[in-house]
Amino acid sequence: TAGNKIFHFGACRVSMSMTEIRSGFTAIKANIQSRDPIRSLSILSHPHSLHKVKTSDRCCITHHLFDFYVDKVFKHCKTEDSFVNRKISSIANSFLSVRRRLGQCHEQNNCVCGEESTEKFNQILANYEGLNVTSAAMKSLGELDILLDWME
Amino acid sequence: EDALLPAPQNISIHSTNMKHFLTWSPVIVQGETVRYSVEFQGEYEREYANESWLPISECSLTTATGCNITEDISASVAYKLRVRAEVGATRSQWGTLKGFFNRVTTSLTPPLLKVTADGYHLLVELEDMGPAFQFRVLYWKKGQERRVQQKVMKEVRSVVHLDTMEAGADYCVKAQTHVEAINRSSSFSQTQCVRAQGDTSMWL
Repeated sequence: TAGNKIFHFGACRVSMSMTEIRSGFTAIKANIQSRDPIRSLSILSHPHSLHKVKTSDRCCITHHLFDFYVDKVFKHCKTEDSFVNRKISSIANSFLSVRRRLGQCHEQNNCVCGEESTEKFNQILANYEGLNVTSAAMKSLGELDILLDWME
Repeated sequence: EDALLPAPQNISIHSTNMKHFLTWSPVIVQGETVRYSVEFQGEYEREYANESWLPISECSLTTATGCNITEDISASVAYKLRVRAEVGATRSQWGTLKGFFNRVTTSLTPPLLKVTADGYHLLVELEDMGPAFQFRVLYWKKGQERRVQQKVMKEVRSVVHLDTMEAGADYCVKAQTHVEAINRSSSFSQTQCVRAQGDTSMWL
């Protein structure tokens, strides 16, 4: 349907309401990106795009990224705009339930981390920590469609 | 907060087909207009955002005793909800929904459908229930209940062609909804049967 998508990462199978997440993000994308003054820098795509990640590493990098957004990003994105905050909450709660399923795959050894995904994720963390936390969080949230596009 | 203004009571959720409504009993204050404000808290807010609450602006300072919370309940996690009463600058304590609400518990009703025969063509029309809904339609020739055919529709189009019928034979149809986001289905609708008869359909 226009609703759910089943993602297959090897033996790991994750169902995700992609449309709900995308519509929540689309509703606030312009607002969030307008809060990101440093347009030349990217958190997710510097120096290499996510598309360079090997298929075998996709599950692990996805798991890492959902952890990243849940643990580090969303909590630093509170705004003065109630509508924006509600949409961020909607995305964050959706990410939480998907992350749980990815975590189960990880525990069942169906989401193995290779060297490349670990290296790529460390680069993302370095990009994130190179900025002050609010700017880094807002930039990461503004790049959510990069993650969603890559996943799809 | 002011102890004089009681918190709203009988707070409950009515959730059907992925539409979720919060309701509560009115707070009565003689000669005053009582208004209400609603807030929600998802699992993310409880675990990662200092148990913060978010206001639902459409239900801030409302005189209604109900609120459509569908837009904000957009993940399959446990939500908490609360309401308070306000008269001027006086505010009651929060009245909180007992327990949690997770949309996986929504009640799913069978879909409304209309079966017609256009000449020899078996057609079905289904109600549009929103993007979260898929439909599973079963159809068979009467007397051949073992040879049931199925069509799964991920998006609702107005009329769907199911089959080409043999003249004089009766064909029966029933349907159920499926919501992938919560991985649940409704029960089946009533069965409807029609017979092809030249170019006019005949209800049975």
